[in-house]
Amino acid sequence: CLLTGTFTACNSKLDVEPTDSIDASTALTTSADVEAALIGCYAGIQNAEAYGGYIQLMSDLLADNGDISFVGTFIPPNQIVRKQILRDNGFVEAIWVNAYNVINRTNTVLSNLDKLDTPAKQARVEGEAKFIRSLLYFDLVRLYARAWNDGNPTTNPGVPLVLTPTTVITAESQVSRNTVAQVYEQVLTDLTTAEARLITANPTNNNGFFANRYAVAALLSRVYLQQGRFAESAAAATRVISSGRYTLVPEYADEFSSPNDLLANSTEDIFAVQVSSQSGVNELNTFYSVNRRGDVNINEQLINLFEPGDERLDLFLIDPTGGDPTYSGKYDVLYGNIKLFRLAEMYLNRAESNFRAGTTTGARPLDDINIIRSRAGLNPLTTLSIEDILKERRLELALEGFRLGDLKRNQESTVDLSSTPVVLPYNSPRLIFPIPLREINANPNLVQNEGY
Amino acid sequence: ISGQVTDGGGSGLPGVTVLERGTTNGASTDSDGRFSLSVQPGATLVISSIGFETQNVVVGDRTTIPVTLKTSATTLGEAVVVGYGTQSKQDLTGSVVQLGAKEVGNQPVQSFEQSIQGRAAGVFIENSSGKLGQGIRVRVRGVASISGDTQPLYVVDGIPVLADNLSSTSAATNPIADINPNDIESISVLKDAAASAIYGSRASNGVVLVTTKRGKAGATRFTLGFQAGTSRPTNKREFLNGEEYVTLLTEALVNSGRSATANATRLRTYAAGADPLTYDTDWQDEVFQDASFSQYDLGASGGNDKTRFFISGQYSNQKGIIVSNKYERISTRFNVDHQATDKLKIGINAALSRSRNQRLPNDNAFSSPMQTVALAPITPLIDPRTNLLSGALDPATGNPNSTFPFYYNPLLGVDNGSYTTIIYRTLSNVYAQLDILKSLSFRSELGIDVQNQSEDQFLGRVTSRNTGPTNGYGFSARATNARVVVNNFATYRNTFNDLHNLEFTLGTSYESAQLTSNNVTGTQFASDAYKTLANSSLITGGSSSRTNNTLVSYFGRANYALAGKYLLGLSARYDGSSRFGTNNRYGFFPAASLGWLATEESFLSDNKVLSLLKPRISIGRTGNQGFPNFASRALFAGTSGYVGIPGQRPQSLASPDLTWESTTQADAGIEFGFLQDRISGEVDVYEKRTTDLALFAPVAATSGFTSLFRNVGSMRNRGVEFTLTTRNLVGAFTWTTNFNASRNVNRVTDLDGPPILGSFLSRAQEGQPLGVFVGPEYAGVDPANGDALYYLNSTNSDGSINRSTTNDINEATLVPVGDPNPKWTGGLTNTFSFKGFDLTATLVGVFGNKVFDGGAQYYSVGFNNGPDNQTRDQLQRWQKQGDITNVPRAEYLGGNGIGLSSRFVRDGSYGRLRTIVLGYNLPAAIAQKVYLQSLRVFVQGLNLVTFTKYKGWDPEVSTDYLTGSASQSQNNINQGIDFYTAPQPKTFTIGVNIGL
Repeated sequence: CLLTGTFTACNSKLDVEPTDSIDASTALTTSADVEAALIGCYAGIQNAEAYGGYIQLMSDLLADNGDISFVGTFIPPNQIVRKQILRDNGFVEAIWVNAYNVINRTNTVLSNLDKLDTPAKQARVEGEAKFIRSLLYFDLVRLYARAWNDGNPTTNPGVPLVLTPTTVITAESQVSRNTVAQVYEQVLTDLTTAEARLITANPTNNNGFFANRYAVAALLSRVYLQQGRFAESAAAATRVISSGRYTLVPEYADEFSSPNDLLANSTEDIFAVQVSSQSGVNELNTFYSVNRRGDVNINEQLINLFEPGDERLDLFLIDPTGGDPTYSGKYDVLYGNIKLFRLAEMYLNRAESNFRAGTTTGARPLDDINIIRSRAGLNPLTTLSIEDILKERRLELALEGFRLGDLKRNQESTVDLSSTPVVLPYNSPRLIFPIPLREINANPNLVQNEGY
Repeated sequence: ISGQVTDGGGSGLPGVTVLERGTTNGASTDSDGRFSLSVQPGATLVISSIGFETQNVVVGDRTTIPVTLKTSATTLGEAVVVGYGTQSKQDLTGSVVQLGAKEVGNQPVQSFEQSIQGRAAGVFIENSSGKLGQGIRVRVRGVASISGDTQPLYVVDGIPVLADNLSSTSAATNPIADINPNDIESISVLKDAAASAIYGSRASNGVVLVTTKRGKAGATRFTLGFQAGTSRPTNKREFLNGEEYVTLLTEALVNSGRSATANATRLRTYAAGADPLTYDTDWQDEVFQDASFSQYDLGASGGNDKTRFFISGQYSNQKGIIVSNKYERISTRFNVDHQATDKLKIGINAALSRSRNQRLPNDNAFSSPMQTVALAPITPLIDPRTNLLSGALDPATGNPNSTFPFYYNPLLGVDNGSYTTIIYRTLSNVYAQLDILKSLSFRSELGIDVQNQSEDQFLGRVTSRNTGPTNGYGFSARATNARVVVNNFATYRNTFNDLHNLEFTLGTSYESAQLTSNNVTGTQFASDAYKTLANSSLITGGSSSRTNNTLVSYFGRANYALAGKYLLGLSARYDGSSRFGTNNRYGFFPAASLGWLATEESFLSDNKVLSLLKPRISIGRTGNQGFPNFASRALFAGTSGYVGIPGQRPQSLASPDLTWESTTQADAGIEFGFLQDRISGEVDVYEKRTTDLALFAPVAATSGFTSLFRNVGSMRNRGVEFTLTTRNLVGAFTWTTNFNASRNVNRVTDLDGPPILGSFLSRAQEGQPLGVFVGPEYAGVDPANGDALYYLNSTNSDGSINRSTTNDINEATLVPVGDPNPKWTGGLTNTFSFKGFDLTATLVGVFGNKVFDGGAQYYSVGFNNGPDNQTRDQLQRWQKQGDITNVPRAEYLGGNGIGLSSRFVRDGSYGRLRTIVLGYNLPAAIAQKVYLQSLRVFVQGLNLVTFTKYKGWDPEVSTDYLTGSASQSQNNINQGIDFYTAPQPKTFTIGVNIGL
């Protein structure tokens, strides 16, 4: 252009359009565009930093009192299992950053619902986006803030609630922490809306990839249980169980060892993160599986909790000579889907809720527990105590990311197993993640957690 | 007129430039030093050749002119390559260092930057590791960007060339290594704004102009070179031997409360089931190797007064000091100049090369050979139960994948894997130069630079513990990076009244670049014998991408010399780039400079002591646009599909005002010579202020984004540079000393926001140099219980600093604990020659920098982070109450003292005998008897001696995985980090150069 052309001709040479990305202004034009943005939310929770494994594994490590040992030298999980987390812990930062990135994706979807071309699509997309947002906020508030039952949730700082998409950075982007109660309230509001929308939408997405009304009810049951709202928890669990859509996989081991790359869920899965050879990563495989790093060893303390003949023990690789450490086989499938909501949890939630509330919503607690025991090849119980229920829960859901939430709501303690073991009560500040250092730096309005 | 140019000994000098002063009319001498030229009446000839003093000869009425050139004492008369032209050194008003072929060529390195380490003041060059063909940091007067490119602009024969790292791993490769150092005639480094502003928006990091060799009229001359040698690591690190390992690990296990039985079982497991003291493996020795080097050069040059050519070919083959690392290059060059008519000259410079690099995993990979040092010394190399490499098969199951050794053994990947990068590079340009008038010429240049890179990786099934049980893993990537450059410029030179010397250059430039790439990953191979993805049964990933950018430029320069002593230089460039926001598409980069050749004044010209005194000053503005192509745009990416269902997501926020980083640089220098230039040198002081940093500024991640690319913040580099050349002895025995030293002080003056966190303790933080280490300050060990202690460093109510200590690292205030930037860098080169012998030795020095030993949290922590083998200094650990030591109590997985702190910050100063060459040139008379023009034999050493207090492998370090990542901010911030990084090679070669 310089030899022959004019200045204007040269100037137009500078108008180069990106080819690997598209301009944001054209990205959300059609109904299909918004649906694709919703898929982007699922891709976000599929990341390692979310339910690809970090959230579950870090929760279990932080709560652990010797059931397992983290023997790898990866420093962030080591800090977490020692309950001596540094402000710049890389996993603590990554989980936060990814969660809010996905929350922004959900907010983007929710602010573009009007572009969806049918009311049914609008209802479905709203329901699914709110489910994903709630799932993330619920886990954020449980990891980065004091527990619901620790002090006063209406004054304890939770995590910042961001509910609108970011298109520009302003002073308002430096948000403050909402209270724990506000976060729970938002989660419950969203989930209630989501359940209603997904019922309206009557989705036929039966391949199990996406959240449906029962996934929402399952999450509601979990949230209510965390708050000790037993009647609501039992009712939500009942909505899932009594739908008749889900049945326990006959053999416990089969629930976790379905072959590689088999998309879609088992009959027991209410919602699972799909992992295939080309999409997603199962980081629980990376850390737990003896075929990979084998960074998590299973200790006798956990093994000994199982009754003889418990078929769930079959998933542990125990060296009969005692020479080698024990590994969990739960995540031996390289491209195995990661189960976030299983029907078994619903029985356990309902049993515990009914037992504590003295109700029999849907079923008697003893019957629910015996369903779980029977699948594990164990004799039914005839009498039931809360200890029985909690033990069954611990064994059935072991290594699936439930320990921290359960420990806190049940006000159990755990132990820092360094050379001079220290008992840490459920409300120890050491059982709460720090607000990541990068975030404290970037946003002076955030108050750091105690002890960091 | 005709004539002959000879040297002091009476031999004809070929290739000397003979120019009619004030014109572009000129010729070159033939192989006997003869020339002929038609000139205007009253002409003056300017006769110049690199390495000789330029002479002005008044023709008068002579037709035959004999000229004897004196060997140059200084480089003053030399023609210096500058942007879009050349200038004589004495007329220069900018700060430019020029190095010649002698300094650049013939070294056992891959890339020319490596051969000029320590040779140029203000140019700091650092190898990231001892791996071959890896990225190299070149810093001209410090770092002037946080999120942008910090390497200089490379221009080869007038055409800016591609220097993008195309590596698919986070370890950068070096595209500049595609240039054969032996093809280089000269390198000019443009340092101040006066010299570099003509390159406008890409000049803030300095400009490196490379000029390749050209043919000279005369008989065809052949050159033949051969060099071979061997390398080994400059240094090894001391780790515990088997016995020490058992002792210290047992202590650590006991301290952690583990039972004696469990500990005995553990040690037996590590020792492949045998008694723990059965084996004593030095894993480090298993990954280092003595590595061969060989290089063959063949060149020919010649021509007549119309056409001249230079062709060359090189084959070099170098093994790395780490097993399986190998770099091989074939390069060719063809340079032709042809005088088509009296007024039209045309030419081509074309280089083709192929390099093949058998690469290693990045430093952070479990499979990196250097990480074998983590394995226990009591673990055997060969597992006696299988008679295979430890970890190859699980003795219990016979399957690959086992929990033995306690980590994946990187040697498995060495034997059963490969990562090969092949680059085909075409670097060519053609030019036409039309001499419209005696004083006015127009030059048009068209250059195409194409880099075709392939990367192919295969890992056999025995690596499955690292890759997953996938029955083999294959990866294949292809990238093509191409740029087209068009330069058109006119040069006007004239002298009026023998008083006013004027030169103008005015031109335009257009550049367009496109990078395309794709890659495929697959698993499930029928056997390890199949290594290409054609045989993969499961393609697990694939991608392709394309990105473009364009640059439109207008530039000009004016030089004016009054009476040959008052010098004025002005230059400017106006650049438009596609990379920037629609609101700020163009930038203007002017510079001005003044110089005074004081020794030309009558009151100094008779002076016997002072032979040169030339003060000069300059000021100007340059830019930096080394950023991602579409950083100003709000974008969505379709990269977030979910198990085959298409998805999209927001990718970046808009920054429509985004524009250049702007650097204003002021420079004051003085060039001097004493005693007929027996002593000569230069001193420069400068200040570079960079404003409107184009910064990936951190934002609250609650927004869904972690950074916003915008122009905020500022940075400053100020410094001083000294160059001193002394000819200590002249005559039959000569001794010349060349010394340079530079001090650069970098400050991030404003970030308009929070510090930007790098890896480990590295930061960009206001008021601190870029890359400063900020963290808890280690306070040693509590004698009472062996706990690691840290200074609180909190501020008391009275404003004083609380220096009490804590064992809770989270209570310690984060404070600056070290600066990775050197305070001083420099080099000292001594050259001796006697009869046919010559000896050149270059010492380089880097002082005052700190290194963060990133691996120390694993290997220097008394097993507090697991069973990794430990460095021997851990034997000094605290053991009982009252012990005074700096090494905390050993406790297995106890976490005591492993937190990142100043504990792992080390002094990284070093001095190094970078090169030493001893050569012998056969006297010409004898050589000619055996029909040779010349014969030189030499022995050469690289990095033979290193002086340092650093206890790691090598203080010249910047771990590759943190400096070659996708985030340029991170690459710039993460300086001086050691992470299982391979040390530099110590290389010894012998060679011969033959002229025919």
